[in-house]
Amino acid sequence: MNTDPLEMLLRDTLREDAASASGRLNGLEQRIVAELGDRAPRLGWVEALRQLVAPTRAARLGQVAVVAATAAAFLIVGAIVGKDLPLVGGHPKAESRETMLRSAAENELLFVLPALNAENVSVVGSFNDWEPSPLSDEDGDGIWTARVSVPPGRYEYAFVIDGRWWGQDPLADEYVRSFGEYSSVRYVGGGGDGV
Amino acid sequence: MTRRLLVLLGTLGVMLASAGVAGQAEIELTDFQGALSAIPVAAEARVLAALDRALRQEGFPASDVQRLFERLLTVPAAAADKEAVILTLVAGLEEGIPVDGLLNKAFEGLARGVSLRSLDQLLRQRLRILIEVRDLLYAKGIFRASAGASTSLGTSALPAARFDAMLSQLGDAVGDYLESGGSPHDGHRIYQNVEARLTMLRGSVLAPADVDLVLQRITPEDLTRVVLAALN
Repeated sequence: MNTDPLEMLLRDTLREDAASASGRLNGLEQRIVAELGDRAPRLGWVEALRQLVAPTRAARLGQVAVVAATAAAFLIVGAIVGKDLPLVGGHPKAESRETMLRSAAENELLFVLPALNAENVSVVGSFNDWEPSPLSDEDGDGIWTARVSVPPGRYEYAFVIDGRWWGQDPLADEYVRSFGEYSSVRYVGGGGDGV
Repeated sequence: MTRRLLVLLGTLGVMLASAGVAGQAEIELTDFQGALSAIPVAAEARVLAALDRALRQEGFPASDVQRLFERLLTVPAAAADKEAVILTLVAGLEEGIPVDGLLNKAFEGLARGVSLRSLDQLLRQRLRILIEVRDLLYAKGIFRASAGASTSLGTSALPAARFDAMLSQLGDAVGDYLESGGSPHDGHRIYQNVEARLTMLRGSVLAPADVDLVLQRITPEDLTRVVLAALN
């Protein structure tokens, strides 16, 4: 048996790290799937109404009138232009990660990234001129998510985790290299006879 | 009183909504001049002439170009290096090439902190590829229909937006292949990459008929020639 102090120290350290991380890694996939399902209705109606209404009745009525008028104006413009307004439906509990991503792929990019010890995660890509859009981890379980509505197309992107770029998202459709670095690629829409 | 308030606020709401819809003001030539003077750009007249022509064309991504100029302003680099990037973009406009892909690579390079010289080198290569691909399409009888032309010209004369979308995707696919380390001599591999890209975008960004047309007419040998010409 090896009793070298350095090796023993390394072994003990690794054992401690593995023991402390094992609890967090158990059921990681199920937690990601649950996370995706739970986050579908981002804002409850009650909370949305609470944010919408003001303390006084007049202001409340005024806000409702403004919202209604704005909605009517947009509907009229939409009808004139003759295009369907983009609708992002609610997401029921996902049966699998793939199912969720497929349902999200109709009109949006859904980013999911496990980054257990990260403090700041964002995504940069061709959909935002490579300017960071933040991912959120509201319950602090280390699974960061973001949804971005985009028109059909091909999108290159990379995650920025605590300032470091990471361009090999396992959920990407493909990868490309530019400037010697990897970027992930996702396709939204397509494969049909439209256009 | 309440009803009057409601009417007043409703009217205000409609006005605000209308302003929001109409608020995407068109970008004019003068909007670029500030950034160009601040860089400063020696060939400002040439840049403005190209932008002036481009602004009159449908689909020109004016706001992206404006954002690029503004972002270049903040880069700590020599004015000559910034101008080189702008002139590469202008060369694309002068050739009538869709510059969406070039803009995307420029934004990516700036975000990654790539030196402007390396960025310009990559943009120049991309532009050469786009020009070669455009000439290949012309050689294969696939043209950009002139504005207002009837579609009865036949399937080879694509409306400008569809031709530009196809050219942009073809050029990007070849550029991505090369920058990812692909061999310029492996025409079959280049063709596979192009075919995969066009197929993925069939029906969303690209018209199915255009995808079929292009894949029927171009060959792996054509793509090898395009790449070698662009690299030379």
